[in-house]
Amino acid sequence: MKRMWQRATILLVCFASVAVAKANSLTCASCHAKQAQSYPGNGMSHALMTAAESQVLRANPHLSVKKGIWSYAIKREGNRSLYTVTDGRETVTVPLEWAFGIDVGGQTYVFQKDGQYYESRVSYYKAIKGLDWTVGATDSLPKNLDEAAGRIIDPGERARCFGCHATHATEHGQMTFDTLVPGVQCERCHVGAEAHRDSFSDGMTAKPIAMKKLSSLSTEEVSNFCGQCHRTWAEIAMNGPMSTGNVRFQPYRLTKSKCYDTEDKRISCVACHDPHKPLDQVTEDYDAKCQACHTPSNAKAKLCKVASKNCVSCHMPKVELPGSHKFFTDHMIRIAGANGAYPE
Amino acid sequence: MFRFGVVALCLGSLYAQTQPNPEALWKEAVTLHQQGKLSEAIKDYQQLVKMYPDQPQLRSNFGAALAGSGHYAEAIEQYEKAIAIHPDPKVRLNLALAYYKETEFQPAIDELTKVHQELPDDKQATMLLADSNLQLGHNKEVIRILQPLYKSNPKDLAIAYMLGTALVRDGQTAEGQVVIDPILKNGDSAEARLLMGMTKMSVNDFAGARDDLKRAVELDPNLPDVYAYYGSALLSTGDQPGAEKAFKQELAHNPNNFDANLRMGVLLKQNDEFDKALQHFQRALRARPGDLAVRFQIASVLVQQSHLDEARVQLEQIVKEAPDFTEAHVTLATVYYRQKRKADGDRERQIVAKLTAERQAKQPGVKQGDAGTK
Repeated sequence: MKRMWQRATILLVCFASVAVAKANSLTCASCHAKQAQSYPGNGMSHALMTAAESQVLRANPHLSVKKGIWSYAIKREGNRSLYTVTDGRETVTVPLEWAFGIDVGGQTYVFQKDGQYYESRVSYYKAIKGLDWTVGATDSLPKNLDEAAGRIIDPGERARCFGCHATHATEHGQMTFDTLVPGVQCERCHVGAEAHRDSFSDGMTAKPIAMKKLSSLSTEEVSNFCGQCHRTWAEIAMNGPMSTGNVRFQPYRLTKSKCYDTEDKRISCVACHDPHKPLDQVTEDYDAKCQACHTPSNAKAKLCKVASKNCVSCHMPKVELPGSHKFFTDHMIRIAGANGAYPE
Repeated sequence: MFRFGVVALCLGSLYAQTQPNPEALWKEAVTLHQQGKLSEAIKDYQQLVKMYPDQPQLRSNFGAALAGSGHYAEAIEQYEKAIAIHPDPKVRLNLALAYYKETEFQPAIDELTKVHQELPDDKQATMLLADSNLQLGHNKEVIRILQPLYKSNPKDLAIAYMLGTALVRDGQTAEGQVVIDPILKNGDSAEARLLMGMTKMSVNDFAGARDDLKRAVELDPNLPDVYAYYGSALLSTGDQPGAEKAFKQELAHNPNNFDANLRMGVLLKQNDEFDKALQHFQRALRARPGDLAVRFQIASVLVQQSHLDEARVQLEQIVKEAPDFTEAHVTLATVYYRQKRKADGDRERQIVAKLTAERQAKQPGVKQGDAGTK
């Protein structure tokens, strides 16, 4: 009966929205207003933007850093940001095209040169309010101006980068810039969302097209789903890195937790994180999630002898990702000693 | 090679039929064969073997005509029949050569091993035996076979080239460089550049390798494997379109090149072109039957295509044969979980954790915990 009322309510909202659609075409927000309202606060929605739209670049019209013999500068000129690299003898200046990431941690830039896409060798980091080597760029020091400017991104890698930071960015593993929408939008996760929406736009003459219910996924399936971009256990187990560098790959880390169970939804990614809402940074807010299992009545899940609140502050320690100027929450839930080794 | 005269006499004395006249037919076959008119010679040989099925030399000549016109499978049949009637190391060598041309390297090795035992000084047989092993990636075996020959022929650049290739591929870079040094001193050649490129690849100097291999391609685009290595170097330096083009060029020269097929398959798999990827993997597997890396790639494509039962059977067999194959255990765990076999998935995950820990323990200087926890 309750479900019937829910359906009726949804239909009413949709009918109302359809009426509006005569003038304004339907959007996901027309029916899913709650999610649509909170989602822009989630970093995923701004995972990619054009350099012209980058708030970091607009707020910092002149960024510069000197690394070894190389001097780097990003200067704002109108809606453009020009990236200049020089060793004093040779200089290259190119307009930045894309900004990956948001100002919570840092932002890396992508530009084109001689028909190739490059990842900028320096990135902006919020913690230092300036530029430093891009994570991974210190693996090999630049031997020439091209290498100093950035690293060539081959088409496969490019498709993977944009495929995660944008929506409709790829088809069959190939880039499709003409359909690309920056950021992770509804359709990136909810495949078929547009057909579903359009079926309502059709004046309800036909049966609405249903989307796959992601809520029906098992814990392991959710890990693999989120892991498409946040990296799955399988990907890291096969390709690494086996170092603190893997701390930002949360599905992999979570899988390594002793309490991880492929079929127990209480340990799924979405048990703690609502992907439609901004990331909750208040650690105590997660206590209830831990206490869903760790209760006096559950003999299998032990109770903490040290504290009864703020579980994640100890059991999910913050770990610095080398070179990122940022500490990430380690999702490998464990009893971590104060100076304990990082279990890779 | 052809003992035409002897056989012609035999046939002439044994048969005096008029339609068709065996002696005249035989002469015609031999003439056509020598003139390179192979399809016409083959027609004559076909008639003759029907009349004289137990003539080993006739079978051998028929096999040679078939091999010459590219019909290796049929040639193999004729050579095998000839050997069954009368074992002859020279015919066996032709049989091995036909297997080699058919990229059936293991049967070629089996036959060449017998030839090598009977004719240990036959350089052609020894080189072909070494080359067949090289094609299968049996680098240590190539080194074992060629080292005596190299010692007695230290100035033979062909031997040095093959031995040097095997040493470099086997990771014996320093020993390989000693052997290939005369090739490098012999002037700028495609062979020298290929070996230099391979050596640089083995020490992860991909940019240097790419430059040498580019030069090798310019000097001799028909050198076996040159485009496959060039493609690998391009791939390692981030030029995926260039790599794809190079692999395609290698495959245009040699459709059965193992490395080019394997790497091309991986690229296609990444682009979600699974059916095309499988075709390349199957070709690679044909070149190296049973190769675990190729079988793993095939299984991983099957996983992508959601053919989970088929993938699981293959992966279970792979980990049975290679219990330390981490990637296969990882993929098998994934398959088990997708098939709702939690206990099996958990077991595979534990194996992966154990293998990873063992591998890290063997790496000197790698710290288990370097985290700046706060």
